[in-house]
Amino acid sequence: MASYSKKQNRSFPLRRNVSHDTAGGDSLRFPEDEVHFSGHLDSGQIELIKRLYFFYKSIIQNINAGLLALDFHGRIIFANRRAGTLLGISPRDLLRRTFQEFLETEAQGAQVAGWFRVPGKGVDNVEVHLRRADGKKFIAGLSISPLEDARNQFSGVVLLIHDLTETYRLRRQVERMERLALLGELAAGIAHEIRNPMAGIKASAQILLEELPDDDYRRQLMTRIIREVDKSNGLLTEFFKFARPTRPKPNFHDIELIIDSVYLLLAPRLRNRNIRFKKQFEENLPRVYVDEHQIEQVILNLFLNAMDAMVEGGTLTVRTRKRELSLVEQKQAGVKLTGEKLGYILVEVQDTGPGIPEKLLERIFNPFFTTKPEGLGLGLSICTRLVEENRGKLDVVSKLGEGTTFIVALPTFSRAIPRGMP
Amino acid sequence: MNKIPSGQQAPMGSGESTLKRVLIVDDEETLTFSLYQMFINSDIDCQVVTAASGEEALERLSEQMFDLVITDLAMPGLDGLQLLAAIKRKTPQTHVIVITAYGTDERRDRAFQLGADYYLEKPFDIHELRTLVFKMIGRPWR
Repeated sequence: MASYSKKQNRSFPLRRNVSHDTAGGDSLRFPEDEVHFSGHLDSGQIELIKRLYFFYKSIIQNINAGLLALDFHGRIIFANRRAGTLLGISPRDLLRRTFQEFLETEAQGAQVAGWFRVPGKGVDNVEVHLRRADGKKFIAGLSISPLEDARNQFSGVVLLIHDLTETYRLRRQVERMERLALLGELAAGIAHEIRNPMAGIKASAQILLEELPDDDYRRQLMTRIIREVDKSNGLLTEFFKFARPTRPKPNFHDIELIIDSVYLLLAPRLRNRNIRFKKQFEENLPRVYVDEHQIEQVILNLFLNAMDAMVEGGTLTVRTRKRELSLVEQKQAGVKLTGEKLGYILVEVQDTGPGIPEKLLERIFNPFFTTKPEGLGLGLSICTRLVEENRGKLDVVSKLGEGTTFIVALPTFSRAIPRGMP
Repeated sequence: MNKIPSGQQAPMGSGESTLKRVLIVDDEETLTFSLYQMFINSDIDCQVVTAASGEEALERLSEQMFDLVITDLAMPGLDGLQLLAAIKRKTPQTHVIVITAYGTDERRDRAFQLGADYYLEKPFDIHELRTLVFKMIGRPWR
C-alpha cells in the first residue's frame, strides 16, 4: 500500500462506493479498491474503518508466529497473542517489558542493539536463544524488519518470532543420520582395505598349518593367527551392517507376532535375570509394512539393552499403539499423497532401569558409544539405520531413577494394500 | 619374500590328459602367492598362472584356455565383473570362482547373473575353497 501516503497524512485506504450491504456480513474481505479520505468521516466510513481494523487485527492475532514491535530502546510496543504464548506472558504484560529481558545472554543483547543501528535495513533472519517468563529456554528464529511510522520515518523494528525447537530436533535427527552414514561409508572403505590382506594372511596360515605335524607346537601359533583374523573380520562385519544394510524387503506383518517371537527367544533369560515382562498391545492394529527380520533385530536389540539396564531385575514393558498422520504431517514427511492414509504403529520398549542422563541421551545413538565393558557401541546405531531403512523412526525418552523408553515408529497403511502385494 | 612374477607358471603335472589350467587374478599379491602355493602343492595336476589386474588376466586368457579362474572383484582398471563377463563370452565352460572383500547382495547377484560358479567373501576358508576347486577340476574330465 504505497499510497498510504506522503501527500495525504492521516489518510486511510478506503473502499470506493461503499455499499453497507455488500461490505457487511461476517466475511473478512479486504476491500480491493482504495480511496483516500481526510476530514470528516460519515458513519459508513467509520463502519468500514472498523472492518479494516478487525481485518488487520485478525491477521495479526491469528498468524502462527509471534509478532512484536519494538521501539529504539527495545521496548515492546506491540505484541500479538502468539508472542505472548511463546514468551509465556500475556501480550498486555509484554508491553511493560523490553525484548532484551527475554534474551538468554547479554551478548545477544548487544546483537539486538545492532538491529537499530542501520535504519531501514531490509529483513534479517537470526536465530537466538530466548528465555520465557517461566524460565524455560527455547531456540527462536527471528525475522527482523524495520518499523516505519506514518511519515515513513524509521521508528523501531518488527520481529516475527518462530519457535525452532521442533526444527532443531529434526535437524539433530538428520545430523545423526548423516554422521552415521559418513562413519558407515568410512567403515566400509576400511573394511575393504583390511579384508584383502586378511585374506592373504589367513590363506597363508591355513596352508602352513596343514604342513605341520599334529604334535608341533607351531600348530597352536598358526591356529591363533587364523582365529585372530576371524575375530577381526567379525568386527568388520559388524561395521558393514550399518555401512551397507541390506535393502529391506518389506511386506505386511503383524507387529505383535514379531514382538512375540523376540520375547520367546529371550523368555528364559528374562526369568533368570528376575525381569517381569508386560505386554500392552492396542487391539486391531493395522499391519506394519516392514522387513520382518530387520525389525526383529531392532526389537531384539532394544530388549537386550533394556535387560542390561536392569541389573537388579525390574519390569520390561512393551506397548503398541496406533498413530495416524495428518495430511500436513504426511506432506512434511514427503509422502506422496495417494489417498492411502499413512500412519505409524508405535512400539514402546520401556525398562525400569536407572535412566540415562540427559547429556548422554543424544550420544547413545553414536556409533561406538557404549557404557558396557564388552560392548562395541554399535547396537543403537544399527537400530537407527535399520528403522530408517524401513521408513520408520527411532526415538528415546528417559528419566533418571525411573527408566528409559525407546519408541519405534513403523509405517503402516490403514486402507489400501499397494498393488502387487499379497 | 618369495615373490612370484605375474604370469609365472607352476611346474606341470605328470599326465597331460588330466592337466588343469588355473588362473588366479588379484591385486593382493600375498593372496595370489598363497593360492599359488596351495595349488602347486595339491594333488591336482595343474598349471597355475597369476595376474595382478583384470587387463593382465585378459592377456593370459588370450594366450590359452583355462579350466578355472579365481578372480577378485574390486581391482583398479578392468574389474572382476567385467573380467567374468569376458571369460564367459569367450569360453563359457571355464569355471569361475569370485572372491571379494567388499560383498554386497547386488554384487553377488550380478556375479551369479554373469555366470560365476561360486562366490566367496574374504577372508575365506582355504578348506572351503579347496573343496570347491576339487569339485570343479579335481576329477579328470570324462
